[in-house]
Amino acid sequence: MEEAVTRKFVHEDSSHIIALCGVVEACLLHMLKRRAVAALFTKVGKTCAIAGDVCRKVQELQQQVESRKNQPNGQEPLKRQGSTTSKTPVLTPQAIKHIWVRTALIEKVLDKIVQYIVDNCSKYYEKEALLADPVCGPILASLLVGPCALEYTKLKTADHYWTDPSADELVQRHRIHGAHGRQDSPSKRPALGIRKRHSSGSASEDRFAASAREYVESLHQNSRTHLLYGKNNVLVQPKDDLEAIPGYLSLHQSADNLTLKWTPNQLMNGTLGDSELEKSVYWDYALIVPLSQIVCIHCHQQQSRWTLVLVSQDGTQRPPLHFPQGGHLLAFLSCLENGLLPRGQLEPPLWSQQGKGKVFPKLRKRNSNKSVDLEEMPAEDTSTDYVFRIIYPGHKHDNITINYHHLAASRSTSVDDDEEEEDKLHAMLSMICSRNLTAPNRMKDTSEMIEMQGFGANLLSWQLEHCSQGSSCISCSMGSSPYDIPSCCTCIHDRTPLKMLCESMKRQIISRAFYGWLAHCRHLSTVRTHLSALVNHSIVPPDRPACAAAGLTKELWSKYQKDRKNYKELELLRRVYYGGVQHEIRKEVWPFLLGHYKFGMAKKEMDQVDADIALRYQKVMAEWKACEVIVKQREKESHSATLAKFSSGSSIDSHVQRLIHRDSTISNDVFVSVDDTDSVEQDPKGQEDPALTAPAPAAAEFDSPDSGLPSSRNYSVASGILSSIDDGQSGSFEDGAEEEGSAEGGRSGQRAQPGLLQPQDSVPEEQLGSQLGSQDYLLDVASVCTASYTIELLDTVALNLHRIDKDVQRCDRNYWYFTAENLEKLRNVMCSYVWEHLEVGYVQGMCDLLAPLMVILDNDQLAYSCFSHLMKRMSQNFPNGGAMDTHFANMRSLIQILDSELFELMHQNGDYTHFYFCYRWFLLDFKRELLYEDVFTVWEVIWAAKHISSEHFVLFIALALVEVYREIIRDNNMDFTDIIKFFNEMAEHHDAAEILRIARDLVYKVQTLIENK
Amino acid sequence: MAGGEGAGSGVPECREHLFKVLVIGELGVGKTSIIKRYVHQLFSQHYRATIGVDFALKVINWDSKTLVRLQLWDIAGQERFGNMTRVYYKEAVGAFVVFDVTRGSTFEAVSKWKHDLDSKVLLPNGSPIPAVLLANKCDQKKDGSQNPSQMDQFCREGGFVGWFETSAKDNINIDEAARFLVENILANYKTFPNEENDVGKPKLDLDPLKAESKSQCC
Repeated sequence: MEEAVTRKFVHEDSSHIIALCGVVEACLLHMLKRRAVAALFTKVGKTCAIAGDVCRKVQELQQQVESRKNQPNGQEPLKRQGSTTSKTPVLTPQAIKHIWVRTALIEKVLDKIVQYIVDNCSKYYEKEALLADPVCGPILASLLVGPCALEYTKLKTADHYWTDPSADELVQRHRIHGAHGRQDSPSKRPALGIRKRHSSGSASEDRFAASAREYVESLHQNSRTHLLYGKNNVLVQPKDDLEAIPGYLSLHQSADNLTLKWTPNQLMNGTLGDSELEKSVYWDYALIVPLSQIVCIHCHQQQSRWTLVLVSQDGTQRPPLHFPQGGHLLAFLSCLENGLLPRGQLEPPLWSQQGKGKVFPKLRKRNSNKSVDLEEMPAEDTSTDYVFRIIYPGHKHDNITINYHHLAASRSTSVDDDEEEEDKLHAMLSMICSRNLTAPNRMKDTSEMIEMQGFGANLLSWQLEHCSQGSSCISCSMGSSPYDIPSCCTCIHDRTPLKMLCESMKRQIISRAFYGWLAHCRHLSTVRTHLSALVNHSIVPPDRPACAAAGLTKELWSKYQKDRKNYKELELLRRVYYGGVQHEIRKEVWPFLLGHYKFGMAKKEMDQVDADIALRYQKVMAEWKACEVIVKQREKESHSATLAKFSSGSSIDSHVQRLIHRDSTISNDVFVSVDDTDSVEQDPKGQEDPALTAPAPAAAEFDSPDSGLPSSRNYSVASGILSSIDDGQSGSFEDGAEEEGSAEGGRSGQRAQPGLLQPQDSVPEEQLGSQLGSQDYLLDVASVCTASYTIELLDTVALNLHRIDKDVQRCDRNYWYFTAENLEKLRNVMCSYVWEHLEVGYVQGMCDLLAPLMVILDNDQLAYSCFSHLMKRMSQNFPNGGAMDTHFANMRSLIQILDSELFELMHQNGDYTHFYFCYRWFLLDFKRELLYEDVFTVWEVIWAAKHISSEHFVLFIALALVEVYREIIRDNNMDFTDIIKFFNEMAEHHDAAEILRIARDLVYKVQTLIENK
Repeated sequence: MAGGEGAGSGVPECREHLFKVLVIGELGVGKTSIIKRYVHQLFSQHYRATIGVDFALKVINWDSKTLVRLQLWDIAGQERFGNMTRVYYKEAVGAFVVFDVTRGSTFEAVSKWKHDLDSKVLLPNGSPIPAVLLANKCDQKKDGSQNPSQMDQFCREGGFVGWFETSAKDNINIDEAARFLVENILANYKTFPNEENDVGKPKLDLDPLKAESKSQCC
């Protein structure tokens, strides 16, 4: 909605207007008592005079529509074009749909009516309605002030060409597209892919090599540029000795600039053969003028034909453009003026006239000063010259423009003595304006704007007085920018208050500038506080003491090994950060980088570390292997039991039976039953009474559906029925024999009542942490034979083993290293780690993190130790850690500050500023995004970056990935699905070296941003 | 985008739909395998575990007038990160819920997934999106056949539009299941054809936040 409001398109049938009407209507309809907008308007019309007028207008329009009804009005897909041909104001179907809102909008009273409705909302709306909301209602009304200040016209405007291309243009488009077959239907987004990038923007670079067609196509509306204006048969005299030739003049708006193009008809029509086209001299005649280079536009009129000359900053003139007769020049200027907004504007601006659209401003010699002519005179009759400057308020512009203003003034009218003084004032004011640092929110309504700026009361009253005269004062009718006021103030008739006025304005402008500067400083300080935690403040340069681009080489490493004590750790890390590690020495260096060894350790100390780790690893291995034996045993038993008891049907059938009679409402809280489970677990007495606890365990069972193995289910089934099982459930037991006994009981229980709701005592691994804690003493004294396990523990282990097996089996099987033997090693290390961290358990992705370590280190113990170190940071990214949300929040801040355009796009396209598309990146440190060889380097850099530039270097890699493809993301207007798909498809196709370089640059950029205080 | 869009071409009778279809279920039940089999006619034991979400596109020449593109969202089986699945589910119009016939617990999880699905995504008319239950790995089933009437009853009570015994390995019933789901999606689409295409009348959704916080998963 805001988007529609802030756009400045003014064509009546513009899609933005239609969309705006739709949105406003939806707002009005929300909780409306009467249920129809028509009824609302009619009712409001009875008490509110403005609304009454609208009612009358709508009725008239509806009568018109009725009388036209027999004319078929296109609902077909191409209805937009369909509506262009008729000359009388035919309402499009969309217009009729929102006729009430639309009429009010075009009559410029919608805001007042909505305000009235808001003020009297209780009459029309339910309490909860949007309009009755004390905040939303007035906001809606004030948002509509802007659109109501716009001029609505059927004249050719920017958006006009977008929605309603002329027939000529349609034919031309058809001709171009026809050759390739139908390429793109409007509803389809262009296909993604890198190819896209190559085809874009090539027109100007190698237009001779590229087909001429492509160039001509670039003249049309496309995803990158808006076509603001197009006119054929504009004459240009390319050379002095040549006759003027006709061509197609067009004005294009891309993200940050406006371009004027003029293409000779010969190129447009494609009457030349392809080979001729390439050599054609007409290419030399074609004009491409970036309007940023143009400071001045001269318009001359000769016998009702207009000529337009563009003048560059350096004073050179472009070949004159001769417009055909009619209002084309005016239309062009009006499009140009729209296109320049919001940053630039024409000076003097075009005037808006009620019913006539844009007209030329009239500067006429007056007795005292340059002034606004209030009389209406047909512009075509006067044969005058006009000079427009293109100015960019809020941007620094050099004095040339001001000089030009002198020139312009002297050209357009004869000078008198007061004129010079005026000009000085002008120059002064524009200089003050140009110093203003920040561009404030642009308000479309003058009075609102003045209020916002806090202009003095005297000025306000002056302005209002001026407006109320019904004059066509420029800033009142246009209201395009606050900076219109300085130029406007010179147009008043009365000279007496001028000095005072200027004084007051000067004060206002200076204070405004000051506040702008203050706001800027505040913004910077917010930036600093937000970003300063993300980077290290001391900048470690890439080239001191020596260039580090070569990375950590073998030679350097052997030097270090000879002189461990004296070699600076930071210097080694700096090398790694800027150049990675040479592959041959990775096996030796990684344990240092990951913290297994410390830099500077003597050989003896290192051996000690290794010995300690080996011991620990052996112990852990023994512990979980022992447990695994029991788990396997349970599994086997329960399998055979299932087979025996349910030989008539599959095991699934038993589940079907059990689940089928479940009251579906019980399972409502699928994921939130953690607390329930806890309470059940903590209350063993409750469990002894099945009747008492029946509903809660049902939920608990659902909580861990993945708990895996049939054995656990059997236990749980038993626990609810037979008290004998409680021994096995709440206590621990000594050996496998007793376990077997209770398992038997469980099965018999299950057989007895297969359809009953049964509690299940397996719990999610998260909760096991606490339970496990109490069992620690058992684990400490554990030996292979006498280990004691709770059922919960066994279930957890079984579940985790299953998950690990699933993932180990399919871990990077296309990489040479992962043979069956090495997968077994991978499994051992993973199981050992998970055994020590059962409270988190195995989570998918962990295998991906271990795999590269295995490849490089190729040693169980070392990999186990290094993986444990790595996981200290990485485990925080897994669901229980919370680091992922921090990453996303940091990404948000970074992109918002470093690439606000892209952030805006992400926000607008369905708002994916949650950055979920980066999930896999952060979870696996980009392991899935890159090839193995690149993963090694990227990981080393991440590890080294902690000491060199930033502990959060992953953020900058993510940012670099986004930045590398930002044009593709922007040009294809990607939404969440597009971007996540795009990056999935791009996985393992990135240029890792380039991305690392950009990431390092980005860190540097943020560091300097913070440093520059 | 999901929910189908009329082809913008000049031929009004030819319709083109883009349907977003989710594939969910416990880890290791064969979601990725089913998709790869369906889209690429391939099977491998070694598809990597899905992290986050993967995509596949299947284009079906439904009939002479209809082209259907299925955008299959292969969602990781073990993901509990905040609101992320909600974002994944957004605007889906159909779903496969997959379980592994050789592992009973994955069947128990089916209801959990279905509930998760229904709590996070609905059709524009407020009804749950059509979901088909897939009993995968039926080639490995050890003992007898399932009791079809019981499964039918389970589907009725669980809100599934139907179920299929499938095998990605042996390519059993996968095309059939997909066809069945598309039929259901198209039936929904025909009942409410303009619900999503009506640009001129944006829906007013005032409290998406409230709805979201209500049923947030762990």
